[in-house]
Amino acid sequence: MFYRETGQYKTSYEADSSIFPILQDRIGIALMLIVAFVVIPLAGNDFFLSSIMIPFLIFALAAIGLNILTGYTGQISLGTGAFMGVGAYACYKLTTYFPDVNIVLLILCSGFFSAFIGMLFGLPSLRIKGFYLIVTTLAAQFFLEWAFIRVGWLYNYNDSGAIEVPERTGFGLVLTGPSATPTTRYMVVLCLVVAMTWVASNLIRGRIGRSWMMIRDMDIAAELMGVRPLYAKLSAFAVSSFYTGVAGAMMVFFWLGAAEVESFDVNESFSILFMVILGGLGSLMGSFMGAAFIWILPVLLRLIPESFGIDISVATLEHINFMIVGALIIFFLIVEPHGLARLWKIAKEKLRTWPFPYA
Amino acid sequence: MSQEIKPGEVLLELEDVSLSFGGVRAIKNVGFNIKRGEIRAIIGPNGAGKTSMLNVINGFYHPQEGTITYKGVHRKNMRPYVAATQGIARTFQNVALFKGMSTLDNIMSGRTLKMHRNFLWQMLYYGPARREEMQHRERVEHVIDFLEIAHIRRTPVGRLPYGLQKRVELARALAMEPELLLLDEPMAGMNLEEKEDMSRYILEVNDEFGMTIALIEHDISVVMDLSDRIVVLDHGEKIADGTPAEVSADQDVIDAYLGVAH
Repeated sequence: MFYRETGQYKTSYEADSSIFPILQDRIGIALMLIVAFVVIPLAGNDFFLSSIMIPFLIFALAAIGLNILTGYTGQISLGTGAFMGVGAYACYKLTTYFPDVNIVLLILCSGFFSAFIGMLFGLPSLRIKGFYLIVTTLAAQFFLEWAFIRVGWLYNYNDSGAIEVPERTGFGLVLTGPSATPTTRYMVVLCLVVAMTWVASNLIRGRIGRSWMMIRDMDIAAELMGVRPLYAKLSAFAVSSFYTGVAGAMMVFFWLGAAEVESFDVNESFSILFMVILGGLGSLMGSFMGAAFIWILPVLLRLIPESFGIDISVATLEHINFMIVGALIIFFLIVEPHGLARLWKIAKEKLRTWPFPYA
Repeated sequence: MSQEIKPGEVLLELEDVSLSFGGVRAIKNVGFNIKRGEIRAIIGPNGAGKTSMLNVINGFYHPQEGTITYKGVHRKNMRPYVAATQGIARTFQNVALFKGMSTLDNIMSGRTLKMHRNFLWQMLYYGPARREEMQHRERVEHVIDFLEIAHIRRTPVGRLPYGLQKRVELARALAMEPELLLLDEPMAGMNLEEKEDMSRYILEVNDEFGMTIALIEHDISVVMDLSDRIVVLDHGEKIADGTPAEVSADQDVIDAYLGVAH
């Protein structure tokens, strides 16, 4: 009843093509940003910030990256984990060589390395499609995993074979390492994720985003309208890998603190892909929803028995968790194969006309 | 480079074009021309090679023999992308819209080649990229008005009925502001009313914008009414070429359509 566009007239094309054309949506997003930027840092405890919010945001960014490639350009990839790894290792090397440079800048720079590698492994997409492309991206995954283990230079020849995040400062604060507070890390992650989401939405609604979607929906017609498949596909691979690379670097530097090759294995690729599919292909909002579903839901499920005072062993809890999340994934995909974002959209459309849907 | 072609002069000239797929010869030594400003129909029974002909013109197929001259320039084998940059647009026999996008985005996609803001501006959106986007939006809205599809502006095209999809596809091609518009069965599967609407649009496009149109259509009465000149293909060969009156009096054409006793 309160979600109505009645009386909201658009008098310019600018207003008509804004991301949130309805006033109530704008209020909603503003409230969410206020909660994210003000309420959560003030009210959230360390556990909530560093074990729920930070990984959630990082996974959401990785999901946006994969969504650009899979949801918007229609090129399926199973190399997400490895591309995250490229970002992480690149950032580690960069900060080894340039310890005094602001780490946020280095994280963004490491995205370019990942973008380059992504483009390289995206080259086969010009010739092959669908399942066959999955196999080539899987090759990228395994090759890069191999490189992360075998090329000692990448982890500075540590005995452990892991990359450990050194303490780095920026903006007058300790940003990474053990002494960085969760609130600082959360705020940095949040700023980066919000800014990059905004940039992604800009790309998507413009010419470049349209050319990606044209390639996805009908590549023959796209070429006829003047889209060069080479440019469109490779730019999608580059942008997508940039996002996943930055997400990977943030994952190590702002969340895990140390990482080995296992953090970037094919399971990581799968879980990001699940986030994208479950959240909604071709939807930025869906990327956040999918990340929330795959990451936050299990954490909450783990907390429920505790809060009721039921004593279950950790292993049992983990198994129950898998079963519930698995069942929910199936349930949601049966209800709406286009993901949570589509469910959300349908709900909003219903709400627009409620309680008189035929009026 | 390409010269300016005035109305009535030859825009596209095909000479002795042959196209084969393995052992199948789809087009055999066909030659005809399209003059600027005319409506040129290509007709013929099923499998005559009409669609292959369009595919040759806009670069999907590369003929093994023959020459194509477009705007006075002899043309090498080219990619469809290059054909698009030279002002050739087309619609497809079985609608080839971008199913996941709205009507508006589909038509905006026709403006792709005319938009030039680079990646960095696109990232920022606000500023030059948005100004450019809005200029093109205005052009697109003219096309939307012209084809009377304002009410479905926001609808994903996958949800539209067939007749409207055909119209959106025409809109997308018109948004490219092409010099040569290729229409592959624009009226297939339409009812009488929709056909009349579509005919009206085609005539208006030709009249008002002076757009050159090459059209494939099965409905002979429509073709006779619309087109200035008709080329008739049968089994990959040209059997007639001329005005509607000449073509309809041609014995070969009548045989091809009605069949003859062998």
